[in-house]
Amino acid sequence: MTDPEKKLDEIVLTRLLRLNAKVQGLVTGIVLGLVIFVATNWLIFKGPSVGKEGQPVLGPHLGLLGQYFIGYRVTFLGSIVGFVYGFALGFFVGYSLSSLYNWFVNRKERS
Amino acid sequence: MPIKQTSMSEQEIQEKQFVIIGAGPAGLTAAYELAKHNLRPVVLELGDKVGGLARTENYQGFHFDMGGHRFFTKVNEVSKMWHEVLDGNFLRRPRLSRIYYNCKFFSYPLKPINTLLGLGFWESTCILLSYLKWQVFPYRQEDTFEEWVTNRFGKRLFQTFFKTYTEKVWGISCSELKAEWAAQRIKNLSLKTALISMFVKPANTIKTLIEEFDYPRLGPGMMWKAVQTEIERNNGVVQLNSDVVQINRVGNQIESIVISENGNSKRIEGTHFISSMALTDFVKRLKPEAPAEVVRAAERLKYRDFLTVCLIVNKPDLFPDNWIYVHDPTVKVGRIQNFKNWSPDMVPDVTKTSLGLEYFCTAGDELWNMSDAELIELGKREVQQIGLARYSDVESGCVFRVPKSYPIYDSDYRDSLATLKTFVNGLENFQTIGRNGLHRYNNQDHAMLTGMLAVRNLVLGERNDLWNVNADQEYHEEIRVDAELLSADVVESLEGALASVFLKLDRVAFGLSLGTLSGLGLFLATLILLFKGGDVVGPNLELLSHYFPGYGVSTAGGVIALFYGFLVGFSIGWGFAFLRNAAVFLYAAAVHRRAELYVLRKFLEYF
Repeated sequence: MTDPEKKLDEIVLTRLLRLNAKVQGLVTGIVLGLVIFVATNWLIFKGPSVGKEGQPVLGPHLGLLGQYFIGYRVTFLGSIVGFVYGFALGFFVGYSLSSLYNWFVNRKERS
Repeated sequence: MPIKQTSMSEQEIQEKQFVIIGAGPAGLTAAYELAKHNLRPVVLELGDKVGGLARTENYQGFHFDMGGHRFFTKVNEVSKMWHEVLDGNFLRRPRLSRIYYNCKFFSYPLKPINTLLGLGFWESTCILLSYLKWQVFPYRQEDTFEEWVTNRFGKRLFQTFFKTYTEKVWGISCSELKAEWAAQRIKNLSLKTALISMFVKPANTIKTLIEEFDYPRLGPGMMWKAVQTEIERNNGVVQLNSDVVQINRVGNQIESIVISENGNSKRIEGTHFISSMALTDFVKRLKPEAPAEVVRAAERLKYRDFLTVCLIVNKPDLFPDNWIYVHDPTVKVGRIQNFKNWSPDMVPDVTKTSLGLEYFCTAGDELWNMSDAELIELGKREVQQIGLARYSDVESGCVFRVPKSYPIYDSDYRDSLATLKTFVNGLENFQTIGRNGLHRYNNQDHAMLTGMLAVRNLVLGERNDLWNVNADQEYHEEIRVDAELLSADVVESLEGALASVFLKLDRVAFGLSLGTLSGLGLFLATLILLFKGGDVVGPNLELLSHYFPGYGVSTAGGVIALFYGFLVGFSIGWGFAFLRNAAVFLYAAAVHRRAELYVLRKFLEYF
């Protein structure tokens, strides 16, 4: 067995995975943005439910996201705003998670 | 990679006189290469024809290939030489081979459904149960070939398809046969080979290579006769019936060779010597003798021999296979060649068929010592018993004995070979080549490559390591073809991608990262609500206190959330990385196993 043939085996057995922060950020951002977008539109599609006092209520719990995402509401426009916020938050989380992970791994391999 | 040391002047090269022992594929290739450099080698051959283990014998105009040699190689230089010498005389032949066991024929390479159907319901059930048993309770150590195969296929299938044939070929029990002999090649099957074979779908060309092969119209001997002619045309000498009886050395130099020719001794001088004779025989003939430990090491090397009983059958067609592996223990024959299916030109009369019944034996044992008449009789009885031809249809036959056809990899061979290697490498004007010269189970193409490299070492001063010409490569040939037909760039990028996908995710690092982010996220979420204020601050977020005792939407609660968030995030991250690594490992192991089984299914081919 030649050395180049064994190279991949050695790499796989001895090295640790590094994450691509940008890709990870992009993927997490898109997923979170889409989750909020779909969840919001799903509630709109279902229509309002009846509140405790008989009034129509549309997505009272999801609407709480508005506490953090200024301008977000359970409306179609809100779903677009939610997508933007979700994407931004997801990108930040994915990017930070990967960067932090790579930093820890680099430190571990150096020590 | 060869290291080019010095390049000699044309005059220096011309002053050299090369003597080559053995006119098999390795020796003749070396001579052919020398002839290309306008040198005039002298080739000494013990037999009455060229070709060595790849010779073609002739009986009543029928051609018999000693072993069945498919012309398929990954070595470009070898392929080039084949077509240079025999262009236009190669036939592209379809390949069919089956296993005969328990009065039935099974597809080879083994196909699970065909195998199970052929064996019948009861035997198949036993095989499946045995397989399951050995998957659950495998041998803890895989020291022998039997243990290694049993752990992968179960004992029952091993006994059916591996045991009898392996023991016929090697003459020793599978429980004595070191796993190293065969399994090392499969064990060493690299992840890269396995993965690439999974990701790259075979193209038609690959299928063609597997299902068809090239074959000289009149067998491999045709190739070697053509090479002999070419050498002689360039004023080289190929001397047949020359028994090398003594090899004279002075210090670290071979000085001359003494041959016995029709009872007369003749001394042949040379400046450089190449030998493909078995290492055992080479050491025996040295004068003065080699050191005692070298002689002992040479004596410890063992070989397996075989004989071919050639039968001419008065029938135009017998069976469609090129060859049949005979696993059935009720007959002694190991493999049956149908030469008409290798090349129609091997048989001069279309109304007849020629068969080669191969019996694996050891020189001096019962089979080897049987007379030709007894062996022909045995062959006739066995082809009838197997049902391939009627006894009365066999009109004549002959026997060819092929000594030292397989170097044996027993438990001693590695140490003995190391001693011999050190000694032989110390001989300055000498190169040992070929299957028996290197005691390595090389096929024809790799034997030829050793001949080519030996010439480069002696003529061009290169330092190619002939002992490492890779015989193992053959075992992965067909799997490897997938990757090798791709361009180097594609393979490189594929390797890079595979490397980045299959690396381990560090559990602690991933846990720490997710923990840090979760903790900070909760901390910030709490602070934001605090900052926004209101009559009732964060009633919904506060619900977290159901899970995080002590948590509240307050500054202190934020710190507690940081702590809890870190703990939960760390646990999830660690767990995710663990599961992801396990999944990747299981996937890679499954891919590897699949490739391993693929090679094993085709294993008999490499005997």
